[in-house]
Amino acid sequence: MKTCLIVDDSRMIRRVAGRIVKDLGFETIEAVNGQDALDKCGLDMPHAVLVDWAMPVMDGFDFVKNLREMPGGDKPIVVFCTAVRDVERIVEALAAGADEYVMKPFDSDIIESKFALAGLV
Amino acid sequence: MSVSDRHGALSLAPSYYEALHRLTLELAGINLGASHAFLVETRLSRLARDEGYESLDAMINELFKNGSSRLAVQVVSALTERDTHFFKDKLAFDRLEKIVLPDLHRKRGGGRVRLLSFGCASGQEPYGMAMVLDRMSEQLEGLKIDIVGVDYPSQALDRARQGIYTHFEVQRGLPIQDLVKYFEPAKTDWAVKSHIKDRVEFRDVHLLSKLDGLEDFHAVMFCGSLPHYSAPARVRVLRGLSGLVKENGFLILGRGEDLSQMNFGFDRVDGSAGLYKKREIPVIVEPEIDESLKVPNGRTTFEKTSKRRKTSMPT
Repeated sequence: MKTCLIVDDSRMIRRVAGRIVKDLGFETIEAVNGQDALDKCGLDMPHAVLVDWAMPVMDGFDFVKNLREMPGGDKPIVVFCTAVRDVERIVEALAAGADEYVMKPFDSDIIESKFALAGLV
Repeated sequence: MSVSDRHGALSLAPSYYEALHRLTLELAGINLGASHAFLVETRLSRLARDEGYESLDAMINELFKNGSSRLAVQVVSALTERDTHFFKDKLAFDRLEKIVLPDLHRKRGGGRVRLLSFGCASGQEPYGMAMVLDRMSEQLEGLKIDIVGVDYPSQALDRARQGIYTHFEVQRGLPIQDLVKYFEPAKTDWAVKSHIKDRVEFRDVHLLSKLDGLEDFHAVMFCGSLPHYSAPARVRVLRGLSGLVKENGFLILGRGEDLSQMNFGFDRVDGSAGLYKKREIPVIVEPEIDESLKVPNGRTTFEKTSKRRKTSMPT
């Protein structure tokens, strides 16, 4: 089964996103910030990552940059899932290595559509 | 089981739901199906509010008592509006990009080409076509392309003209790179940038009426609606479309849609389900009368032949 790492400091978002991603056929793993996510990727690289931008300890932007430099870190499909809606920030996220970008609030249709565009479903 | 039994407490008298069902079938040729009470409640309540009626009941009373044709079209348009999103039918857009546009470019070179989105609803399809053209601009160099989107006059078509989409609409089917390239923030929504918006013209057209007012097109996209039409309406709309597509032009249908037993003057493009090419009008060799050989009774003793074009109706 494909795995999806959900990275968000909000427990509620992790729960809601986790339910949607499970319905798409993924096994989910959770991380509460970018550093926690990097540690989990070091143990077992997931197929997909759904990551928030603003988080304590390490934000999503730094997480993606670090992930892409890790051995095997080029493999996961990374989808930002954030309230940040500035075009400049979206462009930065893509340049840092994100594959897709979801703006909150989201619903299951949006996550499914973005995962489909990224070739995950 | 009555409509109200199926759906619990509703705003309108049950007979109105049946009347709206019949009206939609007659005006648009579309069968709303058994669960249309939900559509009536959600879409028409919004229309009633926007049109300034006190309630849905007040608007429907007005519709059936005074018979306003403008209101009838608005009501039917609201009921038949498709739930669409950008690049909804990926296969149809692939056909456009990989087969239709390269073929038109090869044959027409630097000419002008017209594309039609038939039943364009809130505009995602024709704007999607404009994005494909933008991406292919180098490959299609020299080809001038006009895009027209047509549908019933409706709130959806008004929104298409505005080119403004919600946060949710731009996140369904649209890659993030396209959002950044072709849209700009507009308060909480997103507006299509002018270089895409200006390529598309929208027109109010009754899709089942005679389509004489429309010019002919090199390619027509008609995706996602065909299965909802009644059998007579399907024949009518396809016959109308046949008259709009130029010889050797294309008709692109949606995934899983086809012309079934009838061909309306089209041939299916080999290996491409849902893609059809309009036949050339055949050149028929007809006898030409040589006046010098006519005998006094008006009959001809000898006929020579020459090529002459004769138009024939598509089958």
